[in-house]
Amino acid sequence: MHQIKVTVNGESYQVEVPAQRTLLDFLRQNLELMGTKSGCETGDCGACTVLLNGKAVNSCLVLAVETDGKEVLTVEGLTHSLELHPLQEAFVKHGAIQCGYCTPGMLLSAKALLDEIPRPTEDEIKEALAGNLCRCTGYYSIVKAVMAAAEKANP
Amino acid sequence: MIRKLRKFDYLKPDTVAEAVSLLEDYQEKASLLSGGTDLLVFMKLGAKNPKYVIDIKGISALDYMSWSITDGLRIGNLTTIQSLIGHPLIQDRLPMLEQAAKAVGHPQIRNRATIAGNICTASPSGDMAPSLLALGAGVKVASLAGERTIPVQEIFTGPFKTLLAPTDMVIEIHVPALPPRSAGSYFWQPKITAVDETLAGAAAVVTLTDGKVLKDVRIGMGSVAPTPIRALRAEEFLKGKQVEDKLFEEAANIAAGESRPRTRADYRREITKLLVEQALKEAANQAIRTEVNR
Repeated sequence: MHQIKVTVNGESYQVEVPAQRTLLDFLRQNLELMGTKSGCETGDCGACTVLLNGKAVNSCLVLAVETDGKEVLTVEGLTHSLELHPLQEAFVKHGAIQCGYCTPGMLLSAKALLDEIPRPTEDEIKEALAGNLCRCTGYYSIVKAVMAAAEKANP
Repeated sequence: MIRKLRKFDYLKPDTVAEAVSLLEDYQEKASLLSGGTDLLVFMKLGAKNPKYVIDIKGISALDYMSWSITDGLRIGNLTTIQSLIGHPLIQDRLPMLEQAAKAVGHPQIRNRATIAGNICTASPSGDMAPSLLALGAGVKVASLAGERTIPVQEIFTGPFKTLLAPTDMVIEIHVPALPPRSAGSYFWQPKITAVDETLAGAAAVVTLTDGKVLKDVRIGMGSVAPTPIRALRAEEFLKGKQVEDKLFEEAANIAAGESRPRTRADYRREITKLLVEQALKEAANQAIRTEVNR
């Protein structure tokens, strides 16, 4: 067992975790934050995407022990009130959510992009979301939503 | 079949000395952990079952990127693939490494994966290898016996196999300074989607004389042989000749003939021909545009 101190969505946690627990399982099992999804478990689908020190990563390929001293942002951390994050609002408005399974991962990859490039091109959006698979929407509405959110935040 | 990770001992050394000492103690029972984007997948698939996982991300001395006009580029083991993208040094001096980095996986993978790890996984379709081969790169390796440098040219011994011993640890990648009027380019074709495994990849580095004569050419090819390889016959064919489109077409044909694809062989050879041609032409164009005293 290993002691780790990790900040998740702004809150600091001091916990004991076994070495073999992935960050994904830690979030869902230890912290009961179910927004981050398990998809392929091999870093191919992006359903488990979270931001680790601001960078989008596959939490299924990160060990919880590797997050000691670091900051994690999950979909639950996008807003702390009943007001939606601009990306969430745009996703809803543009029909970018069908079954919703890919959505948390999409939102976080999109957030990582906009934090770095406030007004991305369509190609830049597609590249940033290349690691997030969606079986429902066909991606078009998702790209539109990210573009709209970017335009609204930085007109 | 994917399964949950089995129990293992997690160790986090602070120095290279500590790390190689642990490797000496545990040998085949230990695996090094950098980005984890290959190791954890192997472990979940049951392909690797280390009893000890040695996380080397605590060795801050390994996170660096430095350049000198005489020595070239030195990249510490922990440098992520993503850090090559958009890096002014890379864009300025070795843009082909940025091209190669963009071919690796997708953003979430690139934010964790390291160049060293990519080499050590030694996938036949690895995207960094063709460029590193064409650049004549070397890998600095540490063990209890000391440090040594292995040319990337020699490191791959088979699919997912290197000549590294269980007691070895890669600490640095070195890309020697290119002669003046040199440039490189990497072109690749993914299997299905943009983030898919590479079907074929070709990297070319050309060095020109003051005119348009090819002083030196190196061609690295990926995913068309059991390991990433150089197209040595194509290189020989080109050396000393004047830059010309038809020449590159012929060289690309030779290079494609040197490939030994395992599956979809005919198609891969066709694609390789096109990619090598593109890489040579692009590299030559860039070299021509380079000023003599850079």
